[in-house]
Amino acid sequence: MEGIHLFDLAERQARWLSVRQQTVASNIANANTPGFKASDVVPFADTLQKTQLTMVATNPSHLTDTPAGVATVELRRDQVQTESYSGNTVSLEQELVKAGDVNRDYSLNTSIVRAFHQMLLAALKE
Amino acid sequence: MTDPLISALKVAASGLSAQSTRLRVVAENMANAQSTGNTPGADPYTRKTITFSSTLDRPSGADLVRVSDIGTDDAPYTIEFDPSHPAADTNGYVKLPNVNMMVEMADMREANRSYEADLQVVKQARELITMTIDLLKGN
Repeated sequence: MEGIHLFDLAERQARWLSVRQQTVASNIANANTPGFKASDVVPFADTLQKTQLTMVATNPSHLTDTPAGVATVELRRDQVQTESYSGNTVSLEQELVKAGDVNRDYSLNTSIVRAFHQMLLAALKE
Repeated sequence: MTDPLISALKVAASGLSAQSTRLRVVAENMANAQSTGNTPGADPYTRKTITFSSTLDRPSGADLVRVSDIGTDDAPYTIEFDPSHPAADTNGYVKLPNVNMMVEMADMREANRSYEADLQVVKQARELITMTIDLLKGN
């Protein structure tokens, strides 16, 4: 399983999704805050691209790069579509759509992990 | 760093509490829509307003929401001619509160909608946590 990095990838996506859920939550909570600007996380593909492989250290004196990076999930300003008179840019509909996306992806993610886990177990049992 | 799903719950909870305070202010305004002063020429109830602001939750980096200020509306009072009223001034005019029912109803609806959206977030964060926990059982 080392070669596939599936669980690692799944974990990273789950983490990304939960950060996105948190961002959606704070956008919705601040839907009536004057001057609040809606934010979103950078797409998962971009987060993944920034992750570089780390070299194996076989000796304590080897220098290693930053640990195999779950590159921290970055936030960015959402593309502003409507700004209300109070300077708030949150659109509740858009946020709920995002929340729906997160839910679907998370469900897919956990299903895949479960499927792989069952495959591993199938190899172990009997 | 705290778990983002847990802090999503926290953020949504802060939204719920802010919106319910807003609903309380609306209720006060509506209940006092006819409250005049007691002495001749006295000022009646003044409409209350509420403002939110976002605060950074340092451990998680999320934007919580809180009630920053409950102020008063400085719109002019409604004046009505009613000489028999205890709060009427020498010319027979009574000052009535500057509460507009339509505005309050609209405000209440908006608070309601935002509250619903926050609840939806709580529900969903819970679902995501449950999905994760479910990975551990039943194989």
